[in-house]
Amino acid sequence: MTDRIKEQLSAFLDGELPEPESALLLKRLERDDELRGALSRYSLIGAVLRSDGDVPAARQVAARVSAAIAREPVRPAGLAWIPGRAALTRGAAGIAVAAAVAFGAVLLVQQVPVGDAEAPVAVMALAEAPPVQPVVDDAGPLDAPAEPYVTPPATDAPAGIAPAELANYLVAHYGYASPLVRRSVGAGLISDDDPALVEAAPPEAATRP
Amino acid sequence: MNLRAGVALSLGLAAAPAFAESGQVWLARMGAALNNSSYVGEFVSESAGRSERLAITHRVRDGVVSERLVSLEGARRELVRENDEVVVYLPDQKLAIIERRTGRSDLMGALPQFEGRMASWYKVDWVGRETLADFGPTAVVAVRPLDGYRFGYRLWIDVDTHMPVRSDLSDGSGRVIERLRFTKLRFDDDIPDSAFEPGLDRRKLRWVRQSPQNDDVAPAWRAAQVPPGFRLSMSGMQSVAGSGGPVNHLVYSDGLASVSVFVQQPVAGKAPAQGTSRSGVASAFTTVVDGHQVTAVGEVPPRTLKYIASSIRPVGAAPEARPAAAANRRD
Repeated sequence: MTDRIKEQLSAFLDGELPEPESALLLKRLERDDELRGALSRYSLIGAVLRSDGDVPAARQVAARVSAAIAREPVRPAGLAWIPGRAALTRGAAGIAVAAAVAFGAVLLVQQVPVGDAEAPVAVMALAEAPPVQPVVDDAGPLDAPAEPYVTPPATDAPAGIAPAELANYLVAHYGYASPLVRRSVGAGLISDDDPALVEAAPPEAATRP
Repeated sequence: MNLRAGVALSLGLAAAPAFAESGQVWLARMGAALNNSSYVGEFVSESAGRSERLAITHRVRDGVVSERLVSLEGARRELVRENDEVVVYLPDQKLAIIERRTGRSDLMGALPQFEGRMASWYKVDWVGRETLADFGPTAVVAVRPLDGYRFGYRLWIDVDTHMPVRSDLSDGSGRVIERLRFTKLRFDDDIPDSAFEPGLDRRKLRWVRQSPQNDDVAPAWRAAQVPPGFRLSMSGMQSVAGSGGPVNHLVYSDGLASVSVFVQQPVAGKAPAQGTSRSGVASAFTTVVDGHQVTAVGEVPPRTLKYIASSIRPVGAAPEARPAAAANRRD
C-alpha cells in the first residue's frame, strides 16, 4: 500500500477527502482486502485519538463510510441482469467495507467499559479480524542446517490478544529482551506492517515534558 | 587505536591466538564491539515472508547508550532509546509511547557468558569462516538451544570490526524464523545528539507514558513453575497502554532469553483473551488465572510462554518459582 493511498485513507476518515476521490477510494476498497484491513485499523486509531475512547466517535467514522457508500450512483435497473453481479459485488463489498470500519468500533467496545455494543456489528467485525502471524513451534532435529533460507509465509491467525495489545506489551518488554534479539523486537515494533500500538490510552497519557 | 585493536586488547585476546577460532571467544569479541562501538548503518529484517529496511544509529558515550531505529518504509516509524528510556514514535497514528525503566535492568544488556548454568541450556559452536558479499570475511558462530524452550542463533561476525553483520534466529528445529543483515555499516565516534532526534514534528503527537509504579509494592503474583534454567529477574508494577490499570510485570530469564509476564485485572466490558499471537520474533500467550488476565511475552517458543503463564499464581497460593527438571525433549 502506497503512502498516497494511506494519506487518502486518513483524509477520508477525517472527512477531508474530496468527494470524487472518496468515490475512487471506495471503488478501490471493494477490491482490495489489504486496504479494507488498513481502513479498519485507521478508523479505530482515529476514533480513539479523537475521542479518548469514546465509542460514538468510532461509530461516526463507520457512519461516514456508510454515507459515502450511499452516495455512490445507483446502477440503471435495465442493466440488472448482467450488472446485477456487479451490483451484488458492490453490495457485498460495501458490507465488507462497513464491517472493516465496524471492526474498529468493536475493538473499541472491547477496550472501554461501554455496555451498548451492537451485536450485528460484532458479528461482522469478527470476520474482518486482521491477520496475526502464525506461531512456529515445530519439533525437528537440532542440527538441521539453517540454509537455504526461505521466510515462511504468514497464514491464518490463532486466537490471542489483539495486535495492538500485544504491541503495547512488547514496548514494556523491549528493555528486557535478549541482547541478541532486542533489535529484532524493536524492528517488529516499528514495522510498517505491524498493527497500531494503542487502542485505548491510559489515564496517564500526557504531553512530553 | 582502532576499534578492532581496542576490543582485542580489552579482551586480552591479542596474545591468545590459540583461541582465535573459538565460538565463545568470538561471542565475547562481538559483545565487546556491541557495547563499545558507535556506528551508523542500515539493515534488513526478514521474517514471515516480509522484508523491511531499517536505519540504525548507535552511540556509546561516557557509558550512556543512545540508539535510534527508523523504519525506512511506509510511515517511517521510529524507536529511540537513551539509557533507561525508550520512545516509540508512530507518525501515522500521531502517537508517541514512552517506556521508562527502573534501574534494575541494564538496557544495554551485555551478552552473557555461556558458561556455568548457561552451558546447561545452550551450546556455542564455532561453525567456520564465510565471506559475505557486503562485508568480506566473517566468523560464523552458532548458539544452539539444548531443549525446546528457547531459540537458537547463528551469527556472522565481521572479523575486522567484530560486529554481527548478519544474524539468523532459529526455532528449536533449526529452521530460520528471522534474518537480520546489515547492508551498510559505518563507525563514527562523533555522532551528534541531533542524530537521535526523531524526524517528525513532535508537537503534533499525543504522548502516552508506560512507566513503573510504586517500586516498593510487593508483587502479588509468581510463577509456581518455570522451564529449566529460567529464574525471576525482575518484578514490579507499571502502567501499560490500554490495560485500564496497574499491571504486575514479572520477568523470567535463562540468562539469554527472557519472558515478561503481565498480570492485570480484566478490562471492564471486555472478554479476556486466551491463546497465542505473534509479532516478529516475539510471541505472546494469554490466559486467565484467578479472574486475572495473564499474558506472557518474549522471544522464546510459544510453549515456553504457555508453560510460564499457565503456572502464574497469587503469592502465597504457590511456592516460589522453581525450574522444572531439565529435559532434552522438545514437547
